[in-house]
Amino acid sequence: MIFSSSSSSPSLAAAVSNNNERRDLMSTCTDLNLGLSISLSPEQRQRLDWPPIKSLLRSTLNKLAEKADENDGRHHHSQQYGSLFVKVYMEGIPIGRKLDLFAHHGYNALVTTLSHMFTIKTTNILCPDDSDDHGRVVHSSSKDYQYVLTYQDKEGDWMMVGDVPWEMFLTTVKRLKITRAGRCHS
Amino acid sequence: MESESKRKKESPNTAELAVTASFPDEVLEIVLSLLTSHRDRSSVSLVCKDWYRAERWSRTQVFIGNCYSVSPEILTRRFPNIRSVTLKGKPRFSDFNLVPPNWGADIHAWLVAFAAKYPFLEELRLKRMAVSDESLEFLASNFPNFKLLSLLSCDGFSTDGLAAIATHCKNLTELDIQENGIEDSSGSWLSCFPESFTSLEVLNFANLTSEVNTDALERLVSRCKSLKVLKVNKSISLEQLQRLLVRAPQLEELGTGSFLQDLTARPYADLESAFNNCKNIHTLSGLWEAVPLYLPALYNSCANLTFLNLSYTALQSGEFAKLVVHCPRLRRLWILDTVEDKGLEAVGSNCPLLEELRVFPADPFDEEIIHGVTEEGFVAVSFGCRRLHYVLYFCRQMTNAAVATIVQNCPNFTHFRLCIMTPGLPDYLTNEPMDEAFGAVVKTCSKLQRLSVSGLLTDLTFEYIGKYAKNLETLSVAFAGRSDRGMQCVLEGCPKLRKLEIRDCPFGNEALLSGLEKYESMRSLWMSACNVTMNACRRLAKQMPRLNVEVMKEDGSDDSQADKVYIYRTVAGPRRDAPPSVLTL
Repeated sequence: MIFSSSSSSPSLAAAVSNNNERRDLMSTCTDLNLGLSISLSPEQRQRLDWPPIKSLLRSTLNKLAEKADENDGRHHHSQQYGSLFVKVYMEGIPIGRKLDLFAHHGYNALVTTLSHMFTIKTTNILCPDDSDDHGRVVHSSSKDYQYVLTYQDKEGDWMMVGDVPWEMFLTTVKRLKITRAGRCHS
Repeated sequence: MESESKRKKESPNTAELAVTASFPDEVLEIVLSLLTSHRDRSSVSLVCKDWYRAERWSRTQVFIGNCYSVSPEILTRRFPNIRSVTLKGKPRFSDFNLVPPNWGADIHAWLVAFAAKYPFLEELRLKRMAVSDESLEFLASNFPNFKLLSLLSCDGFSTDGLAAIATHCKNLTELDIQENGIEDSSGSWLSCFPESFTSLEVLNFANLTSEVNTDALERLVSRCKSLKVLKVNKSISLEQLQRLLVRAPQLEELGTGSFLQDLTARPYADLESAFNNCKNIHTLSGLWEAVPLYLPALYNSCANLTFLNLSYTALQSGEFAKLVVHCPRLRRLWILDTVEDKGLEAVGSNCPLLEELRVFPADPFDEEIIHGVTEEGFVAVSFGCRRLHYVLYFCRQMTNAAVATIVQNCPNFTHFRLCIMTPGLPDYLTNEPMDEAFGAVVKTCSKLQRLSVSGLLTDLTFEYIGKYAKNLETLSVAFAGRSDRGMQCVLEGCPKLRKLEIRDCPFGNEALLSGLEKYESMRSLWMSACNVTMNACRRLAKQMPRLNVEVMKEDGSDDSQADKVYIYRTVAGPRRDAPPSVLTL
């Protein structure tokens, strides 16, 4: 019993001594004098009656928590600390780089990072010029680009980066490639 | 002239009697049939014998808040023309596994009585009742006009029972299955609706787990042109949802299935267009496992949304903020605390019409997690949403000052349910009890009907409640109080108190026995893990014959202790269907 005799009021102490087992939760959580809260033991965490949440929500939340533990961070990039590293190759350079896509909030940021990595001017990469509210890319066809940014998707196809919303892109991208503009017809 | 009026004054009673006697019952019945509120009807029935008679003949809907307060025989004898019945069974704490299994509240005896006396029964709404497949089959076969079945937090049945309903209820307009302890063996029940069946307006099977036949569902949705509410379960994918939406653009309430799927661009566009086409959707729920990815498909639909239920979706603050910007008309919002205080700030900034907020804990059991919401989120909402009157808030820390600010901003609270998840936690800044917080609530919110308290609380909280909470009807208390005086203050002070539920508090016999007559004006009292003895319960039972006093014993506990006590008023006498673990005194 964690209540110290000097701190608890007489009636509460009496109540506590009458209900030893049932008071476990309260007694290990609160030291009335110091107002400290002490962590629950694993058994106490598995209590079915506190906090007062309905069984269905409780079991659903348990499943959500399990899933978050299991997955590799790909589909649940809503986790704050997930990462998604993909390989990036530039045409003509055999050694590739690796890039954390989750560390970028959109296509613009991606292009900026790539241009630093491969020392190319951002304006020379065909990618987001303007994007609409949903982060989708509006290609401007009038400009001449030296490079085109492409990616390989889950199905193995090579696609132009920028056609789909950023978040959707994150779920299908497997690797990136910067190719010379002449090689893909736009 | 004067003498006439004098004569009238001398015999006013006979004059009045003459007037009422000439007022035909049929007319009175027609007038009374316009009354729908069951409380108004109760009042009306108490006026005089004529009104009692007229009221009982004209009543078509009945609401029974505690199924053991009355018996099927008494009910059917008094009201001969009932078409709609609402019944609530187990005490609310059964939601949290505090009530033993097989406790009771079985619907079957009621159905048998209804089959005999109300063969034209149309509607049945049950909450926390025990319902078997046999009962559902009986229901389906004995009531040809049956239209509406709503089962909330019930248990004991399986999808076989639902199959019976789907097969036989030719006039069904509403099938609403929510949060039940149901044995979900297969989704084939949905395919039992005959091809000729077109009357469905409400279909909610969101909490079932089995896959249903999606072709059957599509056909059902297509042919039920009046379908307004559709809440599907997790097994329905986004692509399937899109096909359903296309067939039901008239929907007003939608519960999606799983919101997690690899959609390429075209199906995504189709989904967005399907949502845009449903211009009447005002309530949205489901969104299981939603990844923020596809939420933009909803943005246009959110403009008219009044109720958004995200309690099964773990969104982070940024993603949620992006969504809530599109929901300016929101009145009710249910979310998980993964949105954190920042998410709640976004609510405060974007939802000026908000009336109800429920924040559930995504990870209720882990004490070390520093996520979730704090007092700051609640305060932020109170600044932005001045119409807020219903709150259910799970958090890990709170301060007296924050609550005072909150109720100052929103003095119209009718329902204030605050759950500080660590029992007995004081104000984390001052280390004082949370008495002043709830004092502020009851002093400021004169319309308060429902209150749940938490945190470190002394008897002072209950003094405040007894003194100020004059409209309080439901009070829930856990791990609080110092002495019997606390409970006594509430029993003596709250004139409108109907439901009092207490667990793990140091209230004992003196408190219990101070409320004798009070309990007859209440629906029920629940006390568990307190300091009440069997003897006190026996005394109470002896002195108050119109109360049922039931004690649930736990294994291995002291014989003299009354571990769990449930006391309720009744005209039906002690019940005879209690299991061995429940003692009726």
